Amino acid sequence: MKRKKITALLAVFAMTVSLAAGCGNAEKAGTVADNAAADNAESSVESNSDEAPEETGQETAGEENAPSGEAQAVTIWYYWETEGHQVALDQVIQDYNGSQDSYEVTAKYVPFADFKKQLSIGASADELPDIAILDSPDHASYVEMGIFEDLTGKFDVGSYYEGTVNSCTVDGKLYGVPFGVNCLALYYNEDMLNEAGCSVPTTWEELMTTAKALTTDSVTGLALCSVQNEEGTFNFVPWLWSTGATSYDINNENGIRALSFIQSLIEEEVMSKECINWTQGDVMNQFISGNVAMMENGPWQIPTMQQEAPDLNWKVTLIPKDSEYSSVLGGENYAVINGGNVEGALDFLNYATSEEKVKFLMDKFGYISADKSIAENQFEADSPYQPFVEELNYAMPRGPLAEWPGVSDAISLAFNQVITGTATPEDAAAEAQATIDGIVK
Amino acid sequence: MKKIKNMFRYENVGILFVFPAFLYMLVFVGYPIIRNIILSFQDVGAGNLVRGTKNFILFENYAELFGDSVFRISLFNTLKYTVLCLIFQFMIGFMLALFFNQRFTLAKPVRGILLVPWMIPVTVTALMFKLLFATDIGVINYILRSLHLIQKNIEWLTTPGTAMFALICANVWIGIPFNMILISTGLTTIPKELYESASIDGANKVQTFFNITLPLLKPTIESVLILGFIYTFKVYDLVYVMTSGGPVNSTHMLSTYSYKLSFEMFKYSKGSAVANVLLAILLVVGIFYIKITTQGEEE
Repeated sequence: MKRKKITALLAVFAMTVSLAAGCGNAEKAGTVADNAAADNAESSVESNSDEAPEETGQETAGEENAPSGEAQAVTIWYYWETEGHQVALDQVIQDYNGSQDSYEVTAKYVPFADFKKQLSIGASADELPDIAILDSPDHASYVEMGIFEDLTGKFDVGSYYEGTVNSCTVDGKLYGVPFGVNCLALYYNEDMLNEAGCSVPTTWEELMTTAKALTTDSVTGLALCSVQNEEGTFNFVPWLWSTGATSYDINNENGIRALSFIQSLIEEEVMSKECINWTQGDVMNQFISGNVAMMENGPWQIPTMQQEAPDLNWKVTLIPKDSEYSSVLGGENYAVINGGNVEGALDFLNYATSEEKVKFLMDKFGYISADKSIAENQFEADSPYQPFVEELNYAMPRGPLAEWPGVSDAISLAFNQVITGTATPEDAAAEAQATIDGIVK
Repeated sequence: MKKIKNMFRYENVGILFVFPAFLYMLVFVGYPIIRNIILSFQDVGAGNLVRGTKNFILFENYAELFGDSVFRISLFNTLKYTVLCLIFQFMIGFMLALFFNQRFTLAKPVRGILLVPWMIPVTVTALMFKLLFATDIGVINYILRSLHLIQKNIEWLTTPGTAMFALICANVWIGIPFNMILISTGLTTIPKELYESASIDGANKVQTFFNITLPLLKPTIESVLILGFIYTFKVYDLVYVMTSGGPVNSTHMLSTYSYKLSFEMFKYSKGSAVANVLLAILLVVGIFYIKITTQGEEE
């Protein structure tokens, strides 16, 4: 009888444990399914448009141009889900592979939600790509992890915007190359604004009045992505910084004023609470569907907006200010993984950052070049991108700080508490400050 | 020599059969779990994942967790979610099983169709319920408004209390078929003769249910509840897609919080400590299960 009990106990142990492990498997299966879903979505989009080539960027690059010699493999991971981005990157990779015989570049798409996880797992399992194209605020964390090659002196970033270079510089050493920059600005529906007889808002007060005038039964005045993660923080910090507060110093008059302003937008019902579940893409969709009259968003939405809603009459302006104009610097950096094919990676980076290729990529991506000399002449004066170039003068980077994810989490919790009404701006600011002090000190 | 001979004796040959499976479990399940337990006693973060020394700090991660309000919320949430889901899934599943146990036309095909929620990928279900519970465009608010039950749209997924309710609804919907099918199978094992003799003795429906159906279903019910507990307790994908633990951390579960700590905030050791708490609770449930099932056999 005793033996039976022990066997049974072992069996149950095995069962719970395998279920717990199965939880991990399910996650993996989930991501594979997500990938597949994304693939399907892309391919269905493709089949509708004639000009899109057969291939998306998914491990397809350069197979046709495979050189006969012993080419060394160089792999790239990236997370752009937009089809246009994948096709553009793929084009540059194929051109590169066709231009020389020493290296064979392939690119792999990893969904944004999984990107950090895959890099962490890859780092501990020693299975990393040669180049990662990653979100700039995460750069410092991976530098601390020690997986990025020191590029100081190997790459000239003299003509790049200072903020972008800072995002990949740690302790004076360069650990990456900025891919492209973007920042947030205010989009407005010009027809709705004219109809309501409003002028373009430049201050918070004007923004509030305009948003109230624009709000009707079916339209809310303003939308900004407020999800509780890095994406939400990205959209909130321009408002925070505009008051003079910094990301690390929130529990003061300025920080509380920023939180109170967001709270008043919700209370006056000129912004929907649903914003806490809207990604930047969702916000854009609400805007082009005419459900939202003004939105905070980035330039990478422009190609999609022009394609999906060619008749919509919109314009872009600076984010209205409290005491000073402010925006946030976004974009990706190339990072070279140490221990990988460093020479090949650098060779590709030199190719991809040439003026011609940068112009091509930036144009397709709706990004602004991180290279100041290219950016200044990138757009015509009346281009919808031009306001973003102006906004860049006020844009500041997040971090760079290895513990930025912790700080960002505290900030995003604070404005989510205020939006959902679970804490007053004062309490939210105090709580966020306590968390941040615990991280930064 | 004698020992080896002993191994092949009839009584012991079972162990040999189990050996390959045991080896498999050891490598693919045992090793990761032990690594995870070790990780939770260290101080691994972004700085020392790949290089640098990993210091043993023993129970510091666990101590820190119990002072962490989000961890306490997620532990409480996981328990609340599991218990409420189990109650509703089980009751509704049981009633449906009894209903489809009646022989009527189409009973079998309809029961088959009811399995669909169990077969749909959870991600799809989660997206579906996210849309159903949406504030302005959601069908649920639309119906409630049309019936004049509410004046203003309910902000299901953006208010802490109701977000949990929405999650429970979604999971109950998924779990009902699982409960129904297992109980249906259990019902078919009860001999018809018992019901016949009971009816000859003049027992009514309620008496038959409490004196024949329930006692004979006891082993099935126990398995259904324990399996249901384990499946529900380790929920991840549903919550991740529907709320990502929000609004304001109010729907974080142990699994989603562990993921967030490990892969969003680079606190690998703390994240694995949360995962181990989840594992420990499931083990306790498992041992409890063994206690009940072996008791029955010993009698």
